[in-house]
Amino acid sequence: MIPIIILLISPLVAGFLSLRLRSPRILHAINLTTMLLLGGAQSIITTRLLHEGPFLLFNDFIAVDALTCFILIIVSGVGFTSSLYSWSYFDQHLAEGNITPKRLSRYFFLFHMFMFTMILAILANNLGILWVAIEGTTLATTFLINFFRRKSSLEAGWKYLILCSVGIALALFGTVLMFLSSVRALGDVGAALNISELIRIAGQLDPHVVKLAFLFILIGYGTKIGWFPMHTWVPDAYSEAPAPVSAMLAGVLETVAFYAVLRCKTVVDAVVPSGYAGHLLIVFGFLSFGVAAVFILVQRDFKRLLAYSSIEHMGIAAIGFGVGGFVGCFGALFHLLNHAIAKSLAFFSAGNIHLLFGSREIDKVQGMARTQPVTALAFLTAGLALVGMPPLALFVSEFSVVSALASQVYKSDTLRLGRFLTVMVSDDIRNLVLVILFLLISVVVFGGFMFRVTGMIWRDPPQKAVRAEKSSLSHVPLILSIVAIGVMGMWIPGSLKELITQAVAILNGVHHG
Amino acid sequence: MAHSDIGSQLVNICSMLLLVTTFAIVSQRRLSACVDLFALQSVFLAVTAALVAFLTGIHHIYVAALLTIVIKAIIIPLILKRVIERLNVTRELVLNINIPASLLICGGLVILALSVTQPIKELGFLLTKDSLAISLAIILIGFFTMISRRKAVTQVVGFLVVENGIFLGATAAAYGMPLIVELGVFFDVLVAALIIGIFTHRLQDTFDSVDVSKLTGMKE
Repeated sequence: MIPIIILLISPLVAGFLSLRLRSPRILHAINLTTMLLLGGAQSIITTRLLHEGPFLLFNDFIAVDALTCFILIIVSGVGFTSSLYSWSYFDQHLAEGNITPKRLSRYFFLFHMFMFTMILAILANNLGILWVAIEGTTLATTFLINFFRRKSSLEAGWKYLILCSVGIALALFGTVLMFLSSVRALGDVGAALNISELIRIAGQLDPHVVKLAFLFILIGYGTKIGWFPMHTWVPDAYSEAPAPVSAMLAGVLETVAFYAVLRCKTVVDAVVPSGYAGHLLIVFGFLSFGVAAVFILVQRDFKRLLAYSSIEHMGIAAIGFGVGGFVGCFGALFHLLNHAIAKSLAFFSAGNIHLLFGSREIDKVQGMARTQPVTALAFLTAGLALVGMPPLALFVSEFSVVSALASQVYKSDTLRLGRFLTVMVSDDIRNLVLVILFLLISVVVFGGFMFRVTGMIWRDPPQKAVRAEKSSLSHVPLILSIVAIGVMGMWIPGSLKELITQAVAILNGVHHG
Repeated sequence: MAHSDIGSQLVNICSMLLLVTTFAIVSQRRLSACVDLFALQSVFLAVTAALVAFLTGIHHIYVAALLTIVIKAIIIPLILKRVIERLNVTRELVLNINIPASLLICGGLVILALSVTQPIKELGFLLTKDSLAISLAIILIGFFTMISRRKAVTQVVGFLVVENGIFLGATAAAYGMPLIVELGVFFDVLVAALIIGIFTHRLQDTFDSVDVSKLTGMKE
């Protein structure tokens, strides 16, 4: 119980404390302390969960199960590395006079509010509170995206605010519909949106209403995840935000929004067992995966390149969850974790590159291997990981998703094309087509991505010598992430594996306790 | 959940009034009139909520009604009016779609909403028969307003109309969401309105305009 309170209260306290302080050093110290507290609280909760199983708290207001803990690990882990990275990043911006200490204290206030809303979203047992918290993340991050107050970042912020608010309004309507169907079955307004209750009474919910509700919820939270065609804010926001914020948006916020979809999916799967939700996820997944691959080919700005790669990876995860089963869900969950680490690593190194070269254009960055070896290594590792090279962790998770895709079993072997045309297709053929499609898109991504990244790392450094990089604190999070992404490709810690296995059981509708 | 026929008729009438004000917003070019109409719509929403609270005997909906009056009919319109005053823009000069055509499209959206909610209506567990359809219609028209107008302020009004529509759906079709959820939603809407207000100022300062069609710096 106490760790849960720490999780919820400490970012709030740190946020309001930051507003009062002006000394950058103290601000960073408070930030790091908070992140360590969060990490500690999270590990206590996880240990307790693995020993005692899932539990409800505060009058069923908060629910903790394996899925909660797994997402909490991503949030606190990437939150910690981002905080570590932001120290040297903002010190440099302060030294160059781009920002004032007052702006920095505002930054930390918003950053902590961002953390708070994400943690609330993860812990909440109530679909309504989940919605409120996810909308809260939009509000907290708008000014973070607009942090440098350039003309372009203003545009990015406005787009983000309007698109995500509208998207999330759809999710609210979906939540209202869900409420509509459950309040009738339950008769109790207070508990009608509790996820645990919804699953318990799934048999009494009306499938039509729940289906319609899920459609709204999927499009709503899908906007936040950045699926095609609701993705248009993603590249603008990620490229304009300060590097630690981009890392948090791409690594963590997408994961949390995905968590919201997954929670709703467990309810829908219990009501409509025909795989309705899964099929929708597969469609969105392939669309985002394919479209993002095309945009990756034509990018000239490395931060936008990373943004499109995020859309692509969210597509892969959606395919994994959509296919479901043990392998699919395991791969997709593991993919969320790996993507969070690899993408934050990529944005940290992109932030360093931006600071050193003063440009976000790929063509202006060359020969990093000679001038900035550590950043180059980090960027290369992130790049290789993001295209799914073995032995890095994303290979393992992408491979699981593909193998799940290859072994799908369908209910009927007929496929209806339109109203009158029905064809017989065996499972193997269908899976073969999907797998070939998946691999083709992967090849496009591989080519587009590696072509750009290698160009930035090798070749000759530009004529006018760029500042060589000094070893600094900003290298610590880079090295931490590189090690994590490398090690997890070959060996997953036992407790993490156990946690993911339990989370998969929740996603596949096996409930205990 | 006993409620009289007259009661549900009254709720229906109030929901219709909300829809009518939505149409009025679509037909207005003057920004301050749009904001006034939004305030009026929020008053109707509060009346609807109070009626539902009275009919169902669920007392916390009164709280929601009160909050609607305070936040959506008083505070947010005040914020928006101050933004309009400072921006010195009173009229929407260029419309993406002219007003008669907009009204026709909105009529079509109402029909769409009615047909989409038909299967749910037949299940027969709504408080009133048409309120869900009306709320969906208001949501769709709100979205349409956001698409068809160019000034940042009217886009905000469109967004708030969408919120009102959802809220109508939650109170008139179901029986009001749990109080804590409603409080959270109100808080979010209020903060969103504040942030959008600040943003419009910055847009004005930077782009010298609140015409969102000028925001085209970033494209593929």
